[in-house]
Amino acid sequence: MIIKTKLSLIFLMTAAIFSSGCSDNKAYETAICALADISGTYAKEKKSMVKIIQAGIVPKLVPGDSLVLITIDSNSYNDENIKGKLKLDYRPSQANKQRLKFAGVLDDFAAKKASAKYTDISGAMMLCSGHLKSTQAGTQLMFIFSDMKEELKPGIKRSFNNDEFENIDIAAMNVIKLNADSADPQIFRTRMSKWKKRVLAHSAKSWNGTLDPTEIAEYIDEKR
Amino acid sequence: MSSFYIWPQMPFLSIAVLVAGSMVFLYLARTPLHLALDSLNDGIAGGMEKTAAWIKSVVEKMQEKNRKVLLESNIAESEQKIAQEFKRVEASYTKHLADYPALHLKLDESIAQIDSDFKECGQVVPEAPGWNDAVESIASIKATASGDRVIEKMLKELHKSAVDGEKLALAEMRKTSSRRHKILSSLAPVWKKILKAMTEVDNKVSLVLETSGKIEKYMQEYEKIRDGGEDSIDMLSSRATKLFVFSMLVITVAGFGAFVNFQLIALPMSELVPAGTRVLGMHVSDISALVIVTLEVVLGIFLMEAIGVTNIFPQISGMTLGKRRTLFYASILGLFFLASVEAALAVLREHIAATNAATTQALAGQTETAAGTEGSQITVIGQATLGFVLPWILAMVAVPLEMLIESSQHVLSKLLILVIKMLGYLVAIIGHLLSTIMKTIIHIYDAYIIIPTQIGNLIKSKS
Repeated sequence: MIIKTKLSLIFLMTAAIFSSGCSDNKAYETAICALADISGTYAKEKKSMVKIIQAGIVPKLVPGDSLVLITIDSNSYNDENIKGKLKLDYRPSQANKQRLKFAGVLDDFAAKKASAKYTDISGAMMLCSGHLKSTQAGTQLMFIFSDMKEELKPGIKRSFNNDEFENIDIAAMNVIKLNADSADPQIFRTRMSKWKKRVLAHSAKSWNGTLDPTEIAEYIDEKR
Repeated sequence: MSSFYIWPQMPFLSIAVLVAGSMVFLYLARTPLHLALDSLNDGIAGGMEKTAAWIKSVVEKMQEKNRKVLLESNIAESEQKIAQEFKRVEASYTKHLADYPALHLKLDESIAQIDSDFKECGQVVPEAPGWNDAVESIASIKATASGDRVIEKMLKELHKSAVDGEKLALAEMRKTSSRRHKILSSLAPVWKKILKAMTEVDNKVSLVLETSGKIEKYMQEYEKIRDGGEDSIDMLSSRATKLFVFSMLVITVAGFGAFVNFQLIALPMSELVPAGTRVLGMHVSDISALVIVTLEVVLGIFLMEAIGVTNIFPQISGMTLGKRRTLFYASILGLFFLASVEAALAVLREHIAATNAATTQALAGQTETAAGTEGSQITVIGQATLGFVLPWILAMVAVPLEMLIESSQHVLSKLLILVIKMLGYLVAIIGHLLSTIMKTIIHIYDAYIIIPTQIGNLIKSKS
């Protein structure tokens, strides 16, 4: 009787350990959001931007990770701005096929001619934040490919929630300098500083305003 | 500080009055304070001394227990060795002495043949008829002496028959001698056969005696251990420590081998097992790979148990030979299956790695070179071989594992005893130190009140 009770206890304890230990992969996954600016002068950077995503971000994704491409245009807070989504299968062979397929989506995006008069970076960031939160991934990264000069269309309002970027690491990639920036670097510095203050004030985990494309792999590894 | 001064405007005077007052107070309170300090000393230092003594007694008990465990385990081991050796003797007797009756029969036959041959050789050679001399003497009588032609003719006939008889006897003797020589020469191979049979018997008996000699050696060792002398304890302890260190070393190396094995199959397992869930932070595919590696070790343990190299499970060692043979074949089959699976997984791993590399290159906009394909063929063969060989190597871990389990009991206990012993010494040292400090405090106290003490002594002596 005692042995039976002991055995039952051991069984229950083992079951409890396993049931508490069993978890889905979300906490270990990485969700990445790439914001591609297609407005104004940055529209010319489309091809190089796609190249960076293809060679720098896509190969760094491991099975289970996800990537979404969102364009920055005059009104970015729009589901139509989501140009491509990728969620890698846990089977490595399938994941490779998905990578190659997504690379094709990116190539199509690069080939299409599109531009916008205004630059709604905040709207794209809000759309991206919502997407990243929905993934519930343990690591959430936001890469912004833009000159970081926001010009909102009249009538468009953008204000972040206090926890808008909670648990999200944000990095501005390939930030090109405008003519005015070259004439007065302080303009560029002030602009970047404002962005930093703004995202950190809205609970961003970290901000990197000068991430070089060659350092993207290390950056992802570091944040993972 | 100034708040303690009686006269703040006169600090030196205030201090002097305070010191004098304290001296008088401490002098008057000397006896109770001495008693209080002594009690404190007894309480702390004495307590620590008792703790140290208790630790010492615990250590002694543990040492005794460890000694007993060491002796008992080695006695059991010796008994097992002797039992095994007896089994070997039995097997040796069965194997080597089974054909002894046949050998003995062969020897008997050879000896009987020699005996009969000797008997045959011993037969008397037929001699010429005994009356030959008489015939010869009659034949030698000259016929002319009698002059009788009949007698002469008869004598001639007698002479002729005597000569013929001699010739016949000589021929018969030669024939018999020749036959004897033949018999004698045919004895040589029989002797050789006997010699060969005897050598064979000698070899087999030597083998049996060798095993018996081993039993004698083990018995001596067993008796020595049973006596439980200090030298045998030291010898056993040193042997256990040596075993522990070496088995630990081998297990560590095997651990690295298991890690390499795991790395080899973890990636391809994610292709086979759904990796969408984690248990205790690990992918299910990783756990599956770990299970395969662990299964190899388990099968190795069963294999070693079946062939009698290790003796971890008494149930297995107590099995009949037939059952153990079944277990042996089952383990071999299982290991072969797992090794084949690993080899296949290793090939799959290389395929996945190559696809990953190709995808990365394609994403980076590069084209694959031809040299890469050749290199990958060599890698595939290498990884498949490694995948097939590693499980067999891991299976061998059962031997050092048993050694580690056996020796760790003594070594860990020895280490624990050492730690507790050191703790005991530490407590004793602290106790002694505190006792010295308390005594020093009492002496300083006495030194501080030396003036009132001397005055008191003076008054006492005058009164």
